[in-house]
Amino acid sequence: MKPAAIQGVGVVGAFGCGVASLHESLRRGPHPPGRLIFSAEGRGSSMAAYLADPTPLERFVSKRETRRVDHFSRLALLGACLALEDAGALEGPRDDLGLIIASGYGATRTTFGFLDSVIAAGDPCASPTLFSNSVHNAAAAHVAIQLRITGPTLTVSQFGMSVASALARALAWLAEGRVSRVLFGAVDELCPVLGYCHQRFFGDPSGPIAPFALHRHSAVPGEGAAFLLLDGSGSSRYGLIAGADLGRIPVRGQLPGNGSYILNAAGHPSCSSHYSRLLPTGAGVAAFTPHYGSFPTGQALDLAVAALALRDGQLPPGIWGEALPNGWQPATLEQGAVTCVTCDGDGYFGTIRLERG
Amino acid sequence: MSIKEKLKKILVEELNLEDMTPEEIVDDAPLFGDGLGLDSLDAVELVVLVQKHFGVEIKDMDEGRPALQSVNSLAAFIEAKSAT
Repeated sequence: MKPAAIQGVGVVGAFGCGVASLHESLRRGPHPPGRLIFSAEGRGSSMAAYLADPTPLERFVSKRETRRVDHFSRLALLGACLALEDAGALEGPRDDLGLIIASGYGATRTTFGFLDSVIAAGDPCASPTLFSNSVHNAAAAHVAIQLRITGPTLTVSQFGMSVASALARALAWLAEGRVSRVLFGAVDELCPVLGYCHQRFFGDPSGPIAPFALHRHSAVPGEGAAFLLLDGSGSSRYGLIAGADLGRIPVRGQLPGNGSYILNAAGHPSCSSHYSRLLPTGAGVAAFTPHYGSFPTGQALDLAVAALALRDGQLPPGIWGEALPNGWQPATLEQGAVTCVTCDGDGYFGTIRLERG
Repeated sequence: MSIKEKLKKILVEELNLEDMTPEEIVDDAPLFGDGLGLDSLDAVELVVLVQKHFGVEIKDMDEGRPALQSVNSLAAFIEAKSAT
């Protein structure tokens, strides 16, 4: 399939918002996580979490226009605005622009808020606004409305594989000429219920994430959004997306041993243990999840890191936590390409290959 | 707190009118269009909020249209319904 050129990158996460903030975090090292506050079993509690602040959205859209837009969709809208701004495309017609958004969890705060309103006041008094924002494609609707995108719009949810799956669709849209540009993005948010579940299942995260301690739980939950403006022009300061694929292990040795890989290893052993089966000895690896935490579409932020690396001609300093396992080596950009890899707990994997443009 | 004061608080907090305070809402200002700038989605939310906070049901458009003109008209509607 024809590669897609990355013309703009928009990111928001615990590191801040915009490529400059991400770049600075990668250069200086990750900030410590914040605290997610929630109520559990009748008492207040909190836990470490990488939280994102969408307040800078006010720079692009007025408060009045976003008063019905929830946190989840604000993260998406901010990421989308930043990607368009980065590409110099905040103005101009958008009838040739498609929109594809990936999310693993959807709008969890609003979904549970809606359920709470039903429990508290009965279904006749459930909030219609909360309901309309609770559906997975609400973010795409808000982005399309606010940015006046009139091309095709799609939301893809395939949990940890959402990013690779959605990106494969974006490449197909460009290849078949359905649109000339695609605004591709991914977003997930944290909420008190997810925090409670994480605490129940995994205990309190102590941080920091140790991406390459593949069999030890070190995950710290996170949230954020990453958007890319893609076209078929064939040239880009950020590089090209050459392919996005999904597969299932066992396929040991399927990925080339001399490649460079950014792993979305985020401290979940049930997922991370599969990287050992997917990547051969000698593979060049890096991971940047300590900058933004663990969430289903975190691979999109890996993708943004890869784009910045191709722009700058080098990968940011790696975060190893401990010695690299399996004879893996620190990744480099010597071959002018890097592949973002994610594995889920069932042995499925998603790969996205980027090359210099 | 009077019905009008409670209504204004609900309008600002539940409809997320972050750019104004309850005190800034004029009693007889139109809720929709050039007044507060609410729209049809707000009308649906407002019907639910009135039932939730006052226990008063706005059953149809015939009741809703005159009641949802302003804070004054909505407060009068709630008072009348609460008295029956």
